[in-house]
Amino acid sequence: MEPQKIEEQFESELMGSVKAGFPSPAEGVRERLDLVKLLVKHSASTFFFRIDGVSMVDADMDEGDIIIVDRAVEPYDGCKAVCYIDGEYTVKKVRLRQGGAILVPCNDGNTRYKPIPVGPEDDFLIWGVVTYIIKKA
Amino acid sequence: MFALADCNNFFASCERVFRPELNGKPVIVLSNNDGCAVARSNEAKALGIKMGDPLFKIRNIVEKHHVAVFSSNFALYGDMSRRVQEVLRSFAPSVEQYSIDEAFLDLRGMNIPDPDAFAKQISRDCRRLTAIPVSVGIAPTKTLAKIASKLCKQYPKLRGGCYMHRPQDIEKVLRNFPAGDVWGIGRRSVKKLESMHIRTAWDYVRLPETSVRKLFALPGYRTWLELQGTPSIQFEDLIEPRQTICVSRSFAKEITECGPLCEQVANFAESAVRKLREQHSLALEMAAFAFTNRFKESAPQTFGSQVSVFPDATADHRAIVSAAVAATRGLFRPGYAYKKAGVVITKLIQEEDHVHSLFADSESEARDARLSASIDEIKRSFGSQSILFGIQGDGRIKMAREHQSPHYTTLWSDIPGASVK
Repeated sequence: MEPQKIEEQFESELMGSVKAGFPSPAEGVRERLDLVKLLVKHSASTFFFRIDGVSMVDADMDEGDIIIVDRAVEPYDGCKAVCYIDGEYTVKKVRLRQGGAILVPCNDGNTRYKPIPVGPEDDFLIWGVVTYIIKKA
Repeated sequence: MFALADCNNFFASCERVFRPELNGKPVIVLSNNDGCAVARSNEAKALGIKMGDPLFKIRNIVEKHHVAVFSSNFALYGDMSRRVQEVLRSFAPSVEQYSIDEAFLDLRGMNIPDPDAFAKQISRDCRRLTAIPVSVGIAPTKTLAKIASKLCKQYPKLRGGCYMHRPQDIEKVLRNFPAGDVWGIGRRSVKKLESMHIRTAWDYVRLPETSVRKLFALPGYRTWLELQGTPSIQFEDLIEPRQTICVSRSFAKEITECGPLCEQVANFAESAVRKLREQHSLALEMAAFAFTNRFKESAPQTFGSQVSVFPDATADHRAIVSAAVAATRGLFRPGYAYKKAGVVITKLIQEEDHVHSLFADSESEARDARLSASIDEIKRSFGSQSILFGIQGDGRIKMAREHQSPHYTTLWSDIPGASVK
């Protein structure tokens, strides 16, 4: 078959205009599920981090997981947040308290790491709230 | 009413997004090849580092005051700019991106009860969502909005936003504002103004209309009107396609052989084609050029350039890259150490204005167009380095980037790490 012919055939199949056939009800429908739309609500304020060390059990995050962080989300009680502590990024759980917050380990039972109080002047301590955790099954 | 949003010390601020410990510390960003300072944080400015200072000249200050030094990271700056623009678009339907770090917002016809609070809110949201500090000026004209945004940088008390509209306030500000710093007053006009003892923006406004028109022509007259609160400069939310496209770089290490020089020029041509295709233009004429280091007076000097004319206007990857390589082979002379080279598309037209040549082979043209479209698609899906012409080598433009930060937001391998504690 000539190259042109193959193309024509391909095109006609794609357009759903095969003669003597029932026209496809899906004609012109080109939708598909978009994972980015699901995971990124605000593209201006969403950033990705990779988990590179977990020093506790039951933290629901493992080394190599990718976490999605959205700065548009206000820290809420019990949320997980990427925090900038002593020159490095650490994921902590945020406990809101009157006039501020306390950063506690992600695993509530963990007593190895002391809670860190956050005052109004520590505006860089909480970098952004974790909205999704992507992990390999 | 217009707003101007201007990112403070943009490149330096981008470097702080993922390095919050650098807030309050001096930061500078270097030009391509780590040559000179092109962005400075306020702390670096306070140390006396000037725009364009070569790194070797300020080495002492850098070491003594622990200035954080970064090579340019345009992938990061481009992405942060996109984010700021997106935030701005949530505040006004029409936004004119003026440069990588500045945008005008058209507020005409919008109901804004408290413009000063509105300006401060834009600034606060940009900071909260993108971590970039932004100064927002609102005023009756674009020129005045630009001045208002500069006030925000001068006075932290304004908390990033300033609405300037009362005639007496405008007068007070213009009386203290150097005429040469006004948007639209160029360097040549400044000389003319100096000779006329015009020092401030207010002096300029006080000039009679007839002499402004005579001495500074239409652009100067528009600025004069704008300073008085009469909008005279168009709002351009549609980007005009560029009339020439130039991609050039200096090399980290001088090049003495034809092959490596061609490789570099092929990469420049490839970037030029990308820009050309992005704005739906076609090239008619292109030049490749290369020259030696003119500061090395002891070394032999040469400047070579060669023009290629395309018989039919084209945006074809192969046609342009191979023409650039052929031109480079033509201009190359052995025995010289080339320091810088580039590609300029000197004549171009818009795709829709293109009239096909009478002798063009439409079938092969269609095939070439499909090939180029496929190359675009592959690059879009798999990254700009995913498909290269053989001549491009590894596809990298060889530049000194000793202090470059990771591509935190544009490469999966570079996203920041976080531990769980």
